[in-house]
Amino acid sequence: MQGSSFRRSSVAGLPAGSGSALPALLLVGLFFIVPVVALLLRSVTDPEPGLQNYAALFGSGTYVRVFLNTFLVASVVTAVTILVAFPVAWMLAIMPPALGSIVFGIIILSMWTNLLTRTYAWMVLLQRTGVINRALMGLGIIHEPLPLINNLAGVTIGMVYIMLPFMILPLVGTLRAIDPMTLRAAALCGASPFEAFRRILLPLSLPGIAAGGLMVFVMSLGYFVTPALLGGTSNMMLAEMIAQTVQSLLNWGLGSAAAFVLLVVTMALYAIQLRLVGAKRAGGGI
Amino acid sequence: MLLDYDRLGWLRVALVGFTAAVAAFLLLPVVFIVLLSFGSSRWLAFPPPGWTLKWYQQLLADPTWIDAALTSARIAAMAAILAVVIGLFASFSLVRGEFRGRQVLRGLLLTPMVLPVVVFAIAIYAFFLRIGLAGTTVGFVIAHTILALPFAIIPITAALEGFDKSIEDAAIICGASPLQARLRITLPSIRIGIFSAAIFSFLASWDEVVVAIFMASPTLQTLPVKIWGSLRADLSPVVAAASSLLVGLTLCLMIVTALLRRKLSR
Repeated sequence: MQGSSFRRSSVAGLPAGSGSALPALLLVGLFFIVPVVALLLRSVTDPEPGLQNYAALFGSGTYVRVFLNTFLVASVVTAVTILVAFPVAWMLAIMPPALGSIVFGIIILSMWTNLLTRTYAWMVLLQRTGVINRALMGLGIIHEPLPLINNLAGVTIGMVYIMLPFMILPLVGTLRAIDPMTLRAAALCGASPFEAFRRILLPLSLPGIAAGGLMVFVMSLGYFVTPALLGGTSNMMLAEMIAQTVQSLLNWGLGSAAAFVLLVVTMALYAIQLRLVGAKRAGGGI
Repeated sequence: MLLDYDRLGWLRVALVGFTAAVAAFLLLPVVFIVLLSFGSSRWLAFPPPGWTLKWYQQLLADPTWIDAALTSARIAAMAAILAVVIGLFASFSLVRGEFRGRQVLRGLLLTPMVLPVVVFAIAIYAFFLRIGLAGTTVGFVIAHTILALPFAIIPITAALEGFDKSIEDAAIICGASPLQARLRITLPSIRIGIFSAAIFSFLASWDEVVVAIFMASPTLQTLPVKIWGSLRADLSPVVAAASSLLVGLTLCLMIVTALLRRKLSR
């Protein structure tokens, strides 16, 4: 297709075929690149030129705690999401389609439902007097309501809920690409199910787990809505801190510096993720 | 054996049970919120002491909710149209262009999806404050179009990559102009991709909270901003009613998508 004889000559000196990307490029350049670069410049110029914003950011115990907490929440959410998603993806990959499509339908429904709606539901469910606490107490498992909201537990439940589809759906693809014969061979050679899982199924699905896990981790790092509504003040995350610094404290310099840190970490992890996905695709053909 | 559904034995029982539990977990908030919206308890007690439609009445009687929903729909429609048109043009270039830096361009156009929204939100807010677009519909549409663009480009480029360009070339050999060939041969062939792009970019704007929180003004707020405000104030059951309507909308969208896909792929 690339070598088509109907290649059009370049217009106005632009490289062949690049012209139709101009509107997109203009839009993204003017309203994405320029504002983001301007914001980053602001972190070293507001209120005066220098690195004082970064010094304030890394010198203060409060902000360092926010960084650590952000990484903690993102790590916990990613780990739980992987553990929950793997068995589901495994089943979805091999289930009879009639049964699988019901589960897929539920996943899509939860994924497409308004983000605030889902978070609101969890706020009500996890309250002190909420359904979950009442049910647990009714069953006699606990005697006093568990603190499930405005803390790490609340953020983790809410975030895992949102991230699960992003982990399950790509993992199904990875698991479907594995030849069942390899596992039959392992069983024939005398491997126990556990050994076959540990030495064959898990290693073969590792690229998918890594790529999906990294994506979930990156998304969690910068998440704003759910941590702000389900988390507590003592474990604020970076995105909420950025928004607050700018919106309530009107400290644009500090907010921009924190935004820059978030941007660098995100983009670095994204680059790693692209490599993983690229490597997976390249290896998929073998 | 581990990948043979019929030969998993006891492991299958455990794994299917676990999958069912996760499916229930995913369904729980959605079903819960719909049930709750018909409950009569102001304090969201569950199971509710009685059933009522009063939260829906309150919702529909409150012009600020209606306004917010209409504003959201208007902005999302405009952002989706812009994102699909601009994304369609860009996709031709990304799939068929022969120039260096094509992959870089692709990466650049998809960056808004990867960058944490909060970074973009304060950046565009500061920028719009300076050029006077903060709190305006135009500003909203521009910001949401940027966020929606990746959701338009991904399905369209995928569809275009799967389309055999020699069919378009054949139409040109048979006398069609390149434009005619694209409009009458290529576009209909990639219609599923374009359709997905429209849905996804509409949802990207319709559900967008973070940019909207910054961009909103007292006279211009979208539905997510309205919900956000109510959530921070109190957990009023009116929000449950609004949320249930959104769930209903999602279900309609899923059904329409499934039906249209089936029809289009014939």
